[in-house]
Amino acid sequence: MDAVIETRGLTKKFGERAAVNGVDLTVGPGVAFGFLGPNGAGKTTLIRTLLGLTQPTSGEISLLGLPQPGKRAEALARVGAIVEEPRFHPHLTGRENLTIVAAARDRAADARITDALERVGLTARANDRVKTYSLGMRQRLGIARCLIADPALLILDEPMNGLDPAGILEMRRLIRAFVDEGRTVFLSSHLLDEVEKTCDQVAIVDHGRVVLQGAVGEIAAQGEPTLVVEVDDEATAREVLAREARITRVEDDGPSTLRLTLADGLGASDVNRSLVSAGIAVSRLEPTRATLEDTFLAITSRLGEAE
Amino acid sequence: MRLVRAEVLKLVRRRGLMAWTLVLVLGSVLVAEVILVILHAVNPENHGPAGGQTNLSHYLDVLLALGTIAAIMVGATAGSQDVANGVFRDLVVTGRSRSALFNVRAPGALLVLLPIAALAFAAAVVGAFLFSGALPGPSAKVIGGYAAYIFASILINVVLAVALTSFASSRVVVGVLIAWNVLIGPLLLQIGSLGGARKAIDVAAIDHFGPDQYVNDDVTMSTGVALLVLAVWIAVFNTAGRMWTQRRDA
Repeated sequence: MDAVIETRGLTKKFGERAAVNGVDLTVGPGVAFGFLGPNGAGKTTLIRTLLGLTQPTSGEISLLGLPQPGKRAEALARVGAIVEEPRFHPHLTGRENLTIVAAARDRAADARITDALERVGLTARANDRVKTYSLGMRQRLGIARCLIADPALLILDEPMNGLDPAGILEMRRLIRAFVDEGRTVFLSSHLLDEVEKTCDQVAIVDHGRVVLQGAVGEIAAQGEPTLVVEVDDEATAREVLAREARITRVEDDGPSTLRLTLADGLGASDVNRSLVSAGIAVSRLEPTRATLEDTFLAITSRLGEAE
Repeated sequence: MRLVRAEVLKLVRRRGLMAWTLVLVLGSVLVAEVILVILHAVNPENHGPAGGQTNLSHYLDVLLALGTIAAIMVGATAGSQDVANGVFRDLVVTGRSRSALFNVRAPGALLVLLPIAALAFAAAVVGAFLFSGALPGPSAKVIGGYAAYIFASILINVVLAVALTSFASSRVVVGVLIAWNVLIGPLLLQIGSLGGARKAIDVAAIDHFGPDQYVNDDVTMSTGVALLVLAVWIAVFNTAGRMWTQRRDA
């Protein structure tokens, strides 16, 4: 199987508005794949369309190498998913809620309930009603519900939403553990930092379109390099730097500190030479790595300007 | 069967629903019996024995009326709870068809309600014999007729409630079905100008199984026709509810 998720020209329209617009997406096996975009970009709609919760307007979908919706039952038998926030019957216990979903799966799912609860650390609260659970516990119960399918693919919609830092750390650890077991995790998020820390690959989506897709490191590296310099005379330094065309942006970054955006191969040593030649003392010269956030903001702001 | 058991689990764990169902279906019959027994004990000259065929009719009239309301409540809950709690989509993403998920709702509701109704029915029949005194006990024909009557009412109302909650909220469905059974259906049966078309009304078909006093003389039908009418109502509403469930976004 080359691709766990594959879409071609996938489009979902609500009236005239395209929430998902001609998306071509390929997610390989055994990776954590981040589907990154601002709120309203079409992330949840794409997930709902992948899972057959809503019908696409046009395009093709393949899950686990099986065409959808033709082999829907066969594919979804090995898929676990949390769509939007995890919801449960509040009057039932955690274990009973899993029993309800296990009844809709094969018989082996019943036998996985205890292990799934243990895996997410809910054994002690398994017999309490879900209405007494915190949001973090419901998120973990949602993961347990996915695990009773013994999924080859987990689709998680904003799994970090509403979690405290410890919960986010735990969720990240769980996701990485699933990937280490050979499962594929497809997670949507608007939290750039989390996607960068959790995922191997990412697609950036905006206005229903995938605008960039690839390995997290490669995409982050596409951002323009920046350089932080600390000088004794900020005003003169700004004048000197303004004469260098390959410095595309100069921003304040603290007292006597500037953040420069460099282009066309300009390096830290070139900047240093220019400043020192002008009699400016340079006490700090720090190249900084572009983050996924820098790339994301650059892409989405360019798209915004284009419109 | 596992899906049906899951439906039963979802319903029986609702404490409020189960308490009201027990009160309406079983409690009402027991309370009626206790009241008649006490009345007979304190004033036997004006209040005859609490048993016998006439009193059985009283008990079962109560069971029929309140059992129908319980059937609507349980059916509406079974039909709406997955969507109302946001769990329907989680069941859909297991790969199970929406049809399968819809089809188990009515059987689940009936498995919860019918044992309670059977218990209440048994309590009424036992009371009719136990407290009959010198009165003649009810005949097997009367008991059998009432059993069919109450079963038909519970069955059709559970199916209708489950089907209609695919389209509307459970509160609306409960209101509409109570109004239909208590007011609109019986009113339509009284409109002579509707003629034989009244046989197509489910209330008329259910009444066919009841004692003679319930049957409108202008809307009589054979048992075969009554069964056919009920089967058509069940098939139409069940199909409509299932189709809507298949097509809606989860």
